[in-house]
Amino acid sequence: MTMSEERLFRFSRPEWLNSAWVRNAGVYAAGAFFSLAFYTLLDSAVWSHSPLNASDVHIHFVDWLPFIFSTLGMLIINSVEKARLSSESFSYSGSGVAWKARVVLFLGFACLAGGMAGGVTVFVLKYVVKDVGFPALRMGVENLVANGLVGLSAVVLWISQNMEDEYSYNLAL
Amino acid sequence: MAAGLKTIIALSFVLAVGFLLVILSCALWKAYYPLLVVATYVLAPIPNWICSHCANPDDFVESSGAAVLDLGRFCTGFLVMMGLALPVVLANSAIITVPAMIMSVIGGLLIYGTIISFAMFFQEEQDF
Repeated sequence: MTMSEERLFRFSRPEWLNSAWVRNAGVYAAGAFFSLAFYTLLDSAVWSHSPLNASDVHIHFVDWLPFIFSTLGMLIINSVEKARLSSESFSYSGSGVAWKARVVLFLGFACLAGGMAGGVTVFVLKYVVKDVGFPALRMGVENLVANGLVGLSAVVLWISQNMEDEYSYNLAL
Repeated sequence: MAAGLKTIIALSFVLAVGFLLVILSCALWKAYYPLLVVATYVLAPIPNWICSHCANPDDFVESSGAAVLDLGRFCTGFLVMMGLALPVVLANSAIITVPAMIMSVIGGLLIYGTIISFAMFFQEEQDF
């Protein structure tokens, strides 16, 4: 294949990564991870207002904000057309499309990282500083886990979408 | 075709067992939230179906067709995991009991497996 001369790293990508089956499974897994993140957070919200929660700590809108920002970042990142990022091929990136794509992508990653940092902030300010004990501390841990899962979902979706180029290239030949 | 008939009978039997488990998990404890699992699994194949009709998979020049297909797959993955996660969320807050959670998860998986394998068999017959 002609692509092998443009390779940067010494290890080539394994062949099985290029199949359409793995790509589809990656997209399904990204959806599953995102669902897991949402229901982890929903679980903490439902538990916080159920009779099982004996403490004064409750889930409010503030606890949802990091998740909302993470989701926004994931949406932005995976909406960008990946082919527009490579400025070397001029046919794809005339009149500064690559530059715009990079700015939008930067905003998306900033939202994702901000969401994760916000999750840590809520965890520290609401649970660690006030020295909350364990049955209620679970809500804070679930917040962290949910934000991590959104990030994982974004990574999996990004990787599977990048496989697509190789796949369509193989088909076109 | 005898094999096809046997498959259909077996699938409908599994579907009935799945519904039995879900309805039993609701009725035994008089909490009817696990019925949402059935709705989730019935809805799960629909995004894939809609998006595969919207997209033209042969269109590689503008890859928007593949993006629509990916959106459908993402939504399907979301709904399948929702069917698993919803009973766990309900059981964690003691809205339903843990046995009801286990029964509704197994029943939901049986229902979804029936739907998926029925679609696979049906598609295979269409190809020939």
